[in-house]
Amino acid sequence: MWTEPGASGAPAARLNRRELLWRAGGGLGGIALAQLLGREQALAHSPTLAARPHAQRVVQLFMSGAASQCDMFDHKPLLIERHGEPWNPGEEVELFQSAPGQVMASPWKWTQHGECGRWMSGLVPRLAECVDDIAFIHSMTSRSNVHGPATFLESTGFLNPGFPSMGSWISYGLGSENDDLPTFVCLPDDRGLPPGGPKNWGAGFLPAQHQATVIRPGAKEPIPNLFPPQGAGLEGARDAADRDLINELNRRHLEGRAGDSRLEARIRAYELAARLQVAGPEVLDLSGEPASVREAYGVDDPATASFGRRCLIARRLLERGVRFVQVWSGADNGFPRRNWDSHEDLERDHGAMGRSMDGPAAALIQDLKRLGLLDDTIVHWTTEFGRMPCSQGSLGRDHNPFGFTNWLAGGGIRGGVTYGATDEWSWKAVDRPTTNYDVHATILHALGIDHTKLVVRTDGIDRRLTDVHGEVLHELLA
Amino acid sequence: MLCTLLLLAHPSSTTLAPQGDLDLFRAEVAPILEAHCLACHGEDTRKGGVAFTDNERPEGLVEAGHPEASLLMELVSGPEPQMPMKAPPLSEAEVASLRRWIEAGAPWSPGVIGAEGGDKAWWSLQPVTEPSLPELPEAWRGWVRKPVDAFILATLLEAGLTPSREANRRTLLRRLHLDLVGLPPTPEDMQRFLYDPSPQAYELEVERLLASPRYGERWARHWLDVVHYADTHGYDKDKPRRHAWPYRDWVIDALNEDLSWSRFIEAQLAGDVLPDAPPSAVAATGMLAAGPWDFVGHVELREGTVDKQKTRNLDRDDVVKNVFGAFQSLTVHCARCHDHKFDPISQADYYNAQAVFAGVERADREYDADPEIGARREALGGERTSLAAALASAEEALARRIAEDPSPEFSGLREEREALAASVEAPDRSGSMGYHSALEASADHEKWVRVDLGAPHPIDRVTVYPCDEVFGDHDGAGFGLPAAFTVRLGTDDTWETLGTWRASDAPGRHGNRPITLEVAAAPEAHADVTDRPLARFVEVRVPRLWKRTDQHCFALAELEVWSDGENVAAGAEVTAADTIEAGARWGRRMLVDGAFPWSPAMARLDDAERRWHAAAARLEAAAEREARARRTARLADVDAALAALPARSRVYAPTASFNAQGAFTPPPGGAPRPIHRLERGDVTQPAEPSAPGAVAAVGHAPASFAGAGDMADEGQRRLALARWIAHPENPLTWRSAVNRAWHLHFGRGLVGTPNDFGRMGERPSHPELLDFLAARFRDGGGSLKNLHRELVNSATYRQDSTHRPDAAAVDSGNRLLWRANRRRLEAEALRDAVLSVSGELDLTQGGPGFELFRFEDDHSPRYLYAEADPDAPGTQRRSVYRFVVRSAPDPWMSAFDCADPSNSTPVRSDTTTPQQALALLNDRFMLAQARHLAWRVETELAGMDSVRRAAWLVWQRPPTQGEHALLTAHADTHGLTALCRVLLNSNEFIYVD
Repeated sequence: MWTEPGASGAPAARLNRRELLWRAGGGLGGIALAQLLGREQALAHSPTLAARPHAQRVVQLFMSGAASQCDMFDHKPLLIERHGEPWNPGEEVELFQSAPGQVMASPWKWTQHGECGRWMSGLVPRLAECVDDIAFIHSMTSRSNVHGPATFLESTGFLNPGFPSMGSWISYGLGSENDDLPTFVCLPDDRGLPPGGPKNWGAGFLPAQHQATVIRPGAKEPIPNLFPPQGAGLEGARDAADRDLINELNRRHLEGRAGDSRLEARIRAYELAARLQVAGPEVLDLSGEPASVREAYGVDDPATASFGRRCLIARRLLERGVRFVQVWSGADNGFPRRNWDSHEDLERDHGAMGRSMDGPAAALIQDLKRLGLLDDTIVHWTTEFGRMPCSQGSLGRDHNPFGFTNWLAGGGIRGGVTYGATDEWSWKAVDRPTTNYDVHATILHALGIDHTKLVVRTDGIDRRLTDVHGEVLHELLA
Repeated sequence: MLCTLLLLAHPSSTTLAPQGDLDLFRAEVAPILEAHCLACHGEDTRKGGVAFTDNERPEGLVEAGHPEASLLMELVSGPEPQMPMKAPPLSEAEVASLRRWIEAGAPWSPGVIGAEGGDKAWWSLQPVTEPSLPELPEAWRGWVRKPVDAFILATLLEAGLTPSREANRRTLLRRLHLDLVGLPPTPEDMQRFLYDPSPQAYELEVERLLASPRYGERWARHWLDVVHYADTHGYDKDKPRRHAWPYRDWVIDALNEDLSWSRFIEAQLAGDVLPDAPPSAVAATGMLAAGPWDFVGHVELREGTVDKQKTRNLDRDDVVKNVFGAFQSLTVHCARCHDHKFDPISQADYYNAQAVFAGVERADREYDADPEIGARREALGGERTSLAAALASAEEALARRIAEDPSPEFSGLREEREALAASVEAPDRSGSMGYHSALEASADHEKWVRVDLGAPHPIDRVTVYPCDEVFGDHDGAGFGLPAAFTVRLGTDDTWETLGTWRASDAPGRHGNRPITLEVAAAPEAHADVTDRPLARFVEVRVPRLWKRTDQHCFALAELEVWSDGENVAAGAEVTAADTIEAGARWGRRMLVDGAFPWSPAMARLDDAERRWHAAAARLEAAAEREARARRTARLADVDAALAALPARSRVYAPTASFNAQGAFTPPPGGAPRPIHRLERGDVTQPAEPSAPGAVAAVGHAPASFAGAGDMADEGQRRLALARWIAHPENPLTWRSAVNRAWHLHFGRGLVGTPNDFGRMGERPSHPELLDFLAARFRDGGGSLKNLHRELVNSATYRQDSTHRPDAAAVDSGNRLLWRANRRRLEAEALRDAVLSVSGELDLTQGGPGFELFRFEDDHSPRYLYAEADPDAPGTQRRSVYRFVVRSAPDPWMSAFDCADPSNSTPVRSDTTTPQQALALLNDRFMLAQARHLAWRVETELAGMDSVRRAAWLVWQRPPTQGEHALLTAHADTHGLTALCRVLLNSNEFIYVD
């Protein structure tokens, strides 16, 4: 509650970045201030850098509810061959809800694409155009078979709530690249929040400014409290006059209270808030985007508008220097289905989710490439776990934490490559099984951060995004 | 270079060194090596073959007298130190200590490093003894007001520093109020204090504040941060916990009553089994249930799966971590997957601690907050059991006699009954069944269901139809109908009883037979509309529930209300104490849908049954009949007396018995679940079994609880741990408590890591002071209020907060307290302060939390903050009474670094962000309060103009002449509300000097 004034007393001059990071567990004020008072010395310039950074920023596309690997990316001819037969993989199968049903081929046809000749299902025809830019990881595994903990694991590296999300760590480690917008932005699904809600983009024990700013482009108030509510009588001149007087009073208060830079920081905070009032609406205004771009993202097609608009806003945020943008496809596990959790009818529910995601995600890659931003922007497509190769009921698929797919593009990631593989069924990862820890470590590495060094001590443990695990997947790096 | 060094280096165990240099080794170097090196380079570990042992330092590391040539210095300093590996680098001060030590010849003395006891030599595990006060120069003795000042001053003088002057009275009063009660002083408080001529004015103010109920509200919030309390489960499907708040209220009361710290500990761990605790102490155990709980893992995951075991393991982990972090400042949870890497806590210790909690799960638990009522309920319950047993045995005896009776009357009736029974068809149980209450673990619950006729009607009679359902061993008729019910008639403002029905009055009736209660027949001449009761509401109320296999409920098929020959209840609105709405079969509206299980065949059977019972009754002797009547009447009285007792309280707490919910069930047979040490923390790799116990290295009492009571009884396990922690010789308990208080009063703990007194934590800045306070606190009865007096009455606390460049040059972090620390109000204090100055603060104490969101129950519940009304009644209460949602934190509160109850928050962060500026400028709550403040200063007559009054309220001082002109001009141009908005955004309001 009280702060150590020394920690906030502009320590940047005396301490290097690394010391600041170590000290942060005790006195977080120092970093807060450094970040608030102007652009921080990025870690990229520090001698403790892990590698030459390829990437400067990240956009994470998170498929909430568990998107099926074997209906989009992980092609297994055996499923087509044995479709409808009782599924017997030769060992006991423990499922979340059901008993194993029949082998179930994907309802979508598979075709080969790109120079790499990769198989993609008919559910993702637009992403199929991008396969030469994408690195697919087919051997993902999760430690949990339950949505809530598994979603936390993918977003924060821990099964329980309260840990900083990847965006928060990156905001904390690299600081801001711009003066007008937040460092970390989250764009949730219009229909609601994923399991665990805001804990998936929370800052945990890191200072509050590293939590995501949530933007809801469709909402009445896309950025909460950005302006006084309508009808409050605070439009224009009066609002400005109020701020001027606040500034004047706070400056008078500062006189005689030297040596406490928090007071000055608060004066600056009002200036930065005013900048956000200009930059926020500007970044959300898509009217200036060319028709071809709007069409590529599907902004005006009801099937793709929601995810498409958010992907386009994500690109606009990234080009303005936002470090980390998290875009959600899918809300909670309620009924009727509003996420990827297709226990009942995969063709119906994955059909709708796939159509809403495919075009916008492909447009984002292609658009970033067109603007030259893909070179230093990582696109990370993820989900909490995969789905079973057998049926649940007759039309659905149950959870599969034993093998699922992530993909990465841009920011120094090699395109057209595949890492790891599942067994002949697309059930268990058998070739180089990997985890969220490895993917997180790889993303941090591409940003120039050694994942073992970005740590904060809390409750006696030096915590990091990758817990005590994580190996950089060097094969994926160009 | 390494080779050269190795050649030059020599063992130093024989080095004779001046005492001063050995002191340096003992005081500074050994602790550095212990903290940073020994985990890998100790006697046992010897990584890379390098070890610091009792007798000597490792070869090759140090070139005595030449730091620049010493490998040790090269390893630990520079921009990218290689050592310690995978851990934070040494601080500049630590590197400097090593350098000075090497310059002094790097003397080594046996018996320091890894001395006898090894790990037990760690500072926080030493027994707490009261040190004597430090000697002070004569000239400074007058500064000392309290013993703590002597310690602080001695350290300051040693560092060449002096304390700051005392802060002015306005600053002191504001600081004191916000610190002790979390609210700013009123202008009247301030005026009184400023002109109070008493030399004891300050001390008297301290007493006044400590006696205020606001004190407990303020300081409970600090404790709730530590134990990570919230009102929802957290995780996915973040369901509300409707009965978590009695724990929060218990903490507030305990602090206001100044419960001794040992009782405070014991109650929270074992208040339900503490021999001499009041029944309300059950609520204290809410601490163990305060943290997050995985609904999907507990309720939805099937028994026997690996994920289920993981869920339970992590659930106990949360409890263990909470208890040891909060009371012991130990990070035992670091030993879940392996022995603690830095502190002497083994994996075995950790799983023994889990075993303490292996007999409980978290659920709503019932208790009587009032001990007298609890005793009465117990006595009545006992009487009820014996009455029911006596009646049952009389019934049995009679049945035997009937079976043996040869008279043809009985055999004829027997045949008639059998024939009729065969002719009755089972009712259709696929459609509308009726109303069904929620399920309860015991029958001792009052419940009701009520129809709203829309308008008052003259009532002739009310008919109730029981349900017919096969469930468990119950074969159909009379499902859900308790032994007695009362029908009440209500208007918009009064209720009267129509009558009470008891099963005991109608022996032999068919279970489905409808029951009619008539309005007492009036003489024909007066059969006038006005003589019949007029009622808009008709209610059926049951004092006790019907037993449904292992649970209890109340169900009814149909309710008819007859008025002038018409059933006016048909299709009426139905409300109930609670209800199960289950598709097409059960729901409260099915009480008035005309569907009930009663047929002419059943009526004929019912008639035969009653004749049979009447005949049977004749076989009873008069004395037996009398006894039966007496018992039946007494049973009814007992039931009525039970029903008249106030409902039992509930608290979300650890419990061994509760209603199963999905796959969430109590430990089988009420016995604690077996706990094993888990290799690598993996539930699929159980090692040896664990037994209830604590951390061996703490050492003040046996760490195994085998001799501390019956460990088959889960309550005794928790009690044993409570006593182990509250033990006067426990070295951690008392230090931990006083350090938290110090941290909260001064802005930083004497140990800067209040949850970690281990090697990864900070060392105390003033070890003697910490021990002095801990010893006094323990030996003085563990009174927190006395501790507050010691601290806030000190000269140290009363210092000015002004920056002094000379002192800052020596101690920029103010670790030595050469001035007071300025602080920003925390989220709760800020919100409360805003409400307090706007005049809107509602000081209602206790009870369920107020909600600053709109709640939408669903598969995954939603908490919609943006849709709440900032002026909704009940939401202007103090923030400690806020309903805290774990998954969806209040955006306004979390912008101001409100604690995240996912984990313990021993120290809140203090950030400054643009989002905070926007939250204060534009949030609807702030704008509403600005309006209220404007209205207040416009209407409250305080002998001054509105602008001056506003400044007094917000800043507790008059505006200067210049400020007054500035503020008045703003109010004149933009209105008073705009001015109030500005004042509530001012740093002077948000910071406390």
